[in-house]
Amino acid sequence: MRTFLPAVAEQLFRDIQKIYEETTQTLTLPSSRLRRLKFVFGTCALQALDLVDQRSVTCLSSPSGRKAFQVIGGSGRLYTCFLSCHYCPCPAFTYTVLRRNQGLLCKHILAVYLCQAMAVTQQESVSDQQMSAVLSGTGGP
Amino acid sequence: MTDILTLVFRTLSSQTGQNKDPTAGPPPPAPRSKILVVGEHRLSRSVLLLAAVTAASELGVRVAFFAQSQIQSLPECLQRCIATQNPEGLKKITFSYPRTLEELLQQVASLHESPCPPSLIIIDRLDGFLRGAVAGSHVGFHSGDESRAAHLAALLCDTAAFLTEVLEKRGSSSAPCRAIASFLSDADSGQESRDPSATDSILDVLDRYFQARCTLDRDRSYEAAAAAAQEAWHVYLSGTKIPDDLEDGPALAQEWKLFIFPEGLMEFKLV
Repeated sequence: MRTFLPAVAEQLFRDIQKIYEETTQTLTLPSSRLRRLKFVFGTCALQALDLVDQRSVTCLSSPSGRKAFQVIGGSGRLYTCFLSCHYCPCPAFTYTVLRRNQGLLCKHILAVYLCQAMAVTQQESVSDQQMSAVLSGTGGP
Repeated sequence: MTDILTLVFRTLSSQTGQNKDPTAGPPPPAPRSKILVVGEHRLSRSVLLLAAVTAASELGVRVAFFAQSQIQSLPECLQRCIATQNPEGLKKITFSYPRTLEELLQQVASLHESPCPPSLIIIDRLDGFLRGAVAGSHVGFHSGDESRAAHLAALLCDTAAFLTEVLEKRGSSSAPCRAIASFLSDADSGQESRDPSATDSILDVLDRYFQARCTLDRDRSYEAAAAAAQEAWHVYLSGTKIPDDLEDGPALAQEWKLFIFPEGLMEFKLV
């Protein structure tokens, strides 16, 4: 995901990705990275890690090459996030990020970043028409 | 997108009226590919149409133009431009008239399905789509519209980013895919919003996704009369620094003067 994040957050994700690339057997985030994650992203860090553990993030792709992420939230609801910029239809994104400007992102978007870094994103193919419906919020697989 | 707008302004500027050498001074900031035009609707629509025609005829790029209300006529200066420019270029503009926000989202979301994708996406009057399904509705913004605004703006950005990749992979000179949208706040329209803080919050949300803003501000001083013009406007191009800017270079900050004459002609002057 092309990033709108501060450099410290970008570096953190690069570190996490490097750890998982070098030690593929490791499924637990080192405590130092965990502390940094909580420092940068606050309370949504642990919530996002729960979503990662549950393998809640899926990357949808269509024949045109278009992609999008879908995240199964804690309540079971499906949230669609974009590849190139931050958006999530969840109430936390609207309230904390957009309205109060008190957070960089919600747990769903953070879960996307973490799953990408740890290479645990599920993959699913959909038709171009289904992708359009997902992106517009009018439907989904 | 700022490069297209600057091209529009220069094309319609008086050759003898420039009081600044555009090549002098520090190197210009990198062009922004997503820009929000804020101001009175009649003028902002003219600016969008000028951008569409300039992009299609001068740069040869495909344009997707979305508006809630049909375009009944072109600005006078545009009609004169079309007469002198390559009319074939105008066939590259596709006009669509979605009636609701949902229709607009569906149409923008499906641009990736097109075998000949646009290089410029224009949306006229975001406020109309966000305010409600009925064009000309007098219902003000509700605070819950931030999510809708963010969804539309993010979809527009993500679509432009994807189409840029497609164009670049094809080796097209039309890359990157640019986006321009217009927005009119309730304060500028004279309408009262149910929630006075809601309008600014919508603009704040849109500013997260658009790299630059073109602000149209009516000049009510003597300048219009002095120039024998009917109207005078300040046109401000502004934006924060982006990674593509030079490290020591300026952020985007450009000011133009726009004179509109009784016969409808428009003339820009770099300040």
